[in-house]
Formats: sequence, structure tokens, C-alpha cells
Amino acid sequence: MSVTPAIFRASGLSKNFGGVRAVKDVSLAVAPATVFAIIGPNGAGKSTLLNLISGVHAPDAGTMAFDDLDVTDLSPHARVRHGLARTFQKIRLFKQLSVLDNVLAGFHARHRIPAWQYVWHGAAFRADRARCRAEAAELLTFVGLAGRAQALAGALSYGEQRMLEIARALATAPRLLLIDEPAAGLNAAEVEALLERIRVLRERGMTVIIVEHNMDLVMNVADRVLVMDYGELLFEGTPAEVQVHPRVIAAYLGAEP
Amino acid sequence: MSNADFATAGRARWWGILAAACIIAVLPLIFRDSYWRTNLIVCALNVMLAIGLDFVVGYAGQLNLGQSAFYGIGAYVSTLLIMRLGPPFWPAFACGVAASAVSGMALSLFAVRLRGHYLAIASLGFAVITYQVLLNWISLTQGPLGIYGIAPPPPLALPGLPAIDFTDLANLFYLVAGFALLAYMLLDQLVRSPVGETLTAIREDEVSAASLGMNCRAWKVFAFAVGSAVAGGAGCFYAGFVGTLVPDAFFITESFTILAMVIVGGMGTLSGPVFGAILLTVLPEFLRGIGDLRLIVYGLALTLVVLFMPGGIAQALRVARSRLAGSSPRQTAGAEP
Repeated sequence: MSVTPAIFRASGLSKNFGGVRAVKDVSLAVAPATVFAIIGPNGAGKSTLLNLISGVHAPDAGTMAFDDLDVTDLSPHARVRHGLARTFQKIRLFKQLSVLDNVLAGFHARHRIPAWQYVWHGAAFRADRARCRAEAAELLTFVGLAGRAQALAGALSYGEQRMLEIARALATAPRLLLIDEPAAGLNAAEVEALLERIRVLRERGMTVIIVEHNMDLVMNVADRVLVMDYGELLFEGTPAEVQVHPRVIAAYLGAEP
Repeated sequence: MSNADFATAGRARWWGILAAACIIAVLPLIFRDSYWRTNLIVCALNVMLAIGLDFVVGYAGQLNLGQSAFYGIGAYVSTLLIMRLGPPFWPAFACGVAASAVSGMALSLFAVRLRGHYLAIASLGFAVITYQVLLNWISLTQGPLGIYGIAPPPPLALPGLPAIDFTDLANLFYLVAGFALLAYMLLDQLVRSPVGETLTAIREDEVSAASLGMNCRAWKVFAFAVGSAVAGGAGCFYAGFVGTLVPDAFFITESFTILAMVIVGGMGTLSGPVFGAILLTVLPEFLRGIGDLRLIVYGLALTLVVLFMPGGIAQALRVARSRLAGSSPRQTAGAEP
């Protein structure tokens, strides 16, 4: 195990669904300002692991620490307040709301309005609205949706919806962003644009965890790769190490180890 | 929409509020007989019930069929307090509002894992239980015999002005309509703040909302508290206005009538349910001649609205406005632009 400081640590995470052991004793440590990829064949337990990290599922065993704070028992919404945001494998936008309103919803935990100004809008209220709108416009520009602010989210193309979901998650001002299967349903150009945005986020100091079953994709962007198979940690290392590791190749190609 | 557009929209709202205040001021001068003045007060009460319910159903997306219970709890708590312990009207009013808010929060906490049809059934069950308690706890509520001779709110003495006597129906209308307008303004400010964004997000998708840091359970409890508090306030006025309390006034059909006002007016807008409440209060008065057949007219109207104008009166007004402006209606769903 490396001794670099970690922004997120998990140790001994396990989760069972009935008789199915979806995640078995997985430990990981994610260094700040890096892209950490979790890969594995379909059904390897990647999404369950991500749901444990984001708090959607409670682990049966193990602990998680975010910036040395024990978050094992925190609910998903409480984790967001500590700077942990996520997107979903099956895109979950507010489809009936405008693109801008989707992003504005992401500012939920970051408003600076005295309580009484919620029922009597004053100067602090207007300043907060202006700040959120300006920041939302910046986020939409960042993901290339500046011109679509007033469109309904449900009217966007699949690739645009994926980008909007990331902009909405960024509106919570996360320090750790979890992205679930970013390439699903995207064409090659859209995937490249997405990866490029992820690299920019890393340059700005954000930590990103990507769950992905497409191994080639993560090789281009990840600093560390964790390979899962049948719920267990198969291997963790750099992309170059992963690509030549015999057990990883076996898991992906189905060959005998 | 730019910030300047928002400032314009904000000013337009204040002109709308001012216009509503003027209309409230002249209505009793136009309708001078006690029959129509009585109907005006019923309109104002129903407006309170409908906008309170819309906050829960239209904005937070929680299908609540218990509004009749919160209405009744406000009425009975304030009246019984005054009868048994003798506090003045306004402290009793505050207690009635608080009791309704607390029961709304209790129902929401109890039904926290339920949504959609299941929440509708649970809240309907709450309305049935409340009705049965009012009917059968005879030592407290006098059951079906009812409570008679409830005094209207006491005269209001403002310094330097003659006292305002609420046995006069016009003055009572001003009081109730004034509170309805106040409730509207408070709810309007709330739904146009981040609170409105939060409730709408929870209505659209709770998993997504939680992923943005929203505590869905707490916000649903909050929505129920606000919606039932407004209904409780209407209940307090109802008791002083009618002078009589019987459980049948708060039977579950009242919940459906209020929901119909919200749907006909337009869920997820605040102005819509105001029109819906007025329409569904006044229309049955014109249909009195056909007796119970009016329930069929009611049901038919509701079906037609749901089929052909799911956004209700608010949607119709929006379409009409954009037709007048010569553009095609903008696609908006639910919330006001």
C-alpha cells in the first residue's frame, strides 16, 4: 500500500444482496487530484461499490473515510454536504425542468440566504440568486451546453444529458466526483469530449472516481485502476500494470489464468 | 431569462398582488346581499385550502388526500380551546394553526416511505380517522350533535380607527381574504426561492434530489407542515364564520373537492388553484337547481380538464397569453416560468 495521503479511504467493504455477495472485502485509497477508475466485467460489483461510496447502500461490513472523516453511516445527502457528488449509470435528470433549473437545483446546500429572506426576498436573496445563476452559466459553458439553458432537460441528446448530469453534480462544489459508466450510450466524439473535461477537472484539483466496464477508455484518463471480478478486488495498479496483468486479461477474455 | 427579465417578472407579480387586493376591496361593495357575501367568504376559505394543498401536491409532489382533516383539526382545536379554556380568539387561532401543522408533520413522518397512490391511501386513511374521532369522541366534540353558537373573531380595534366588527359579513370577508392573500404571498415567495427548486426536484426524482444534498424526508415534512398550517388557519376562520361545527363539514369528500380545485386550476402553479377554488365554489351555486346532478357536472368537468387541459386554468391562461402575443406557446411543464 502506498503512503501518499488519500482523500478517500475504504477498508474491508462488503455488501450482500440476499445470497449474492456483490462486494467482498474491498479496500481502496484514492489520492487527491487524481482519476481513480474502477473497472471489471458486467456484474463484477462496480456499481454496488459506487453505491456504497455514495451512501445509496449501507455496507454489511467495512468503513469509509472521506478527508479523515468517518462517513460510513452518513446518508447520501449528508455526504454531498461534505463534498462528495455523483452521477448515475442510467441518467437521472429532472427531465421536465429546464437545463438551467437542473443545474440550479445542484446549489441546494450552498445558498447563503438568511432564513427570513425566503419569505421576504431582500438584497442577500437577490445577491445569492445572481451568484448561483452566474456560476450555473459557467458550469453550462464548461460542459458545452451554454446555448441550451432554456431547453427542457428531457429534450437533450443522450450525450448532452450525460454532460448536464455532470454539470449538475459539479454545482454541489464537490471535492470528490463519482461518475458511473460515463461512456454508456455515447459516441466516440462525445466520449473524447467527456474525458477531456475530466482531465480539466483533475488539473483544477478535483478527485474523480470513474466506474466503467470499457477498459480502453479508462486507460486514457486514469491514474490508478482497480479491477473487480465477482465482487472481489482482483488487482490495483497503474493502467500500464493493469493492461499486462494476466489475471485481468483472464477476467476480461475468459481465458484460463 | 436575464436578471433584468427576472426583476420585471418580480414587479409584475407585485402589480398582480395589488390588483388582487383592489378586487378584494371592491367585491363586497358589488355583492351586497348576505347570500353572495357568504359565498365570497367560502371562496376565500377555499382559496386558502387549495393553495395550501397545492404546495404539498403540486410543488412537493406528495399526493395528499388529508386536507379535510387539517381543515377540521384547525377548526375544532381553536373552537374547543376557546370553549373550554377561554383564551381570546387570536391565541386560539395560533394554536389551531400549530395543531394542524403538527398533525401534517406527524402524517408525513408516519408515511415517510410511501409515495404516489400509497401516500394517497395513507392520507385518506388519516382523514377518515380524524372524521371518526370528531364524530365519536362525543364528550369532547359533541359528535354529530355539533357545537353551536361559536362567536366570530372579536372586533379589531386599531388605534385611531373605529373598531372593525366581524359580525358584519363584509368585514369578515376582508379578514379572511386578507389572510388568504397573505398566505398566497408567503407561499409565492417560498416557491420562487431555492425552497421551490428543492421541492420541485424532490417531486421530479427523489434519488437525484438526494444526490444533490437534499434531505427528502425533512423537506416533505416541511411541505406538509406548511400546507396543513394554511388549512388549519382556514378551519379557525370557518368555525367563527359559520358559528356551528359538525364533523360532516370535514368529511373526506371535502379533500377531493379541494384536490379538484387544485387540478382544475393547475397543479404546480399558485395562481391556478386560486381560480380553481373560486370556480368550483361559485359554479355549484349556479347548479343548485339540478340538485345532486351537479356532482355529475363536477365529475365531467374534472375528467375533461385532465384529458384535454392537464395544466388546468393556469395552462389555458398561458396559452391564451402567448396566442395574444402572437407566438406559439412555450413548452413548460409544472412550474411557472
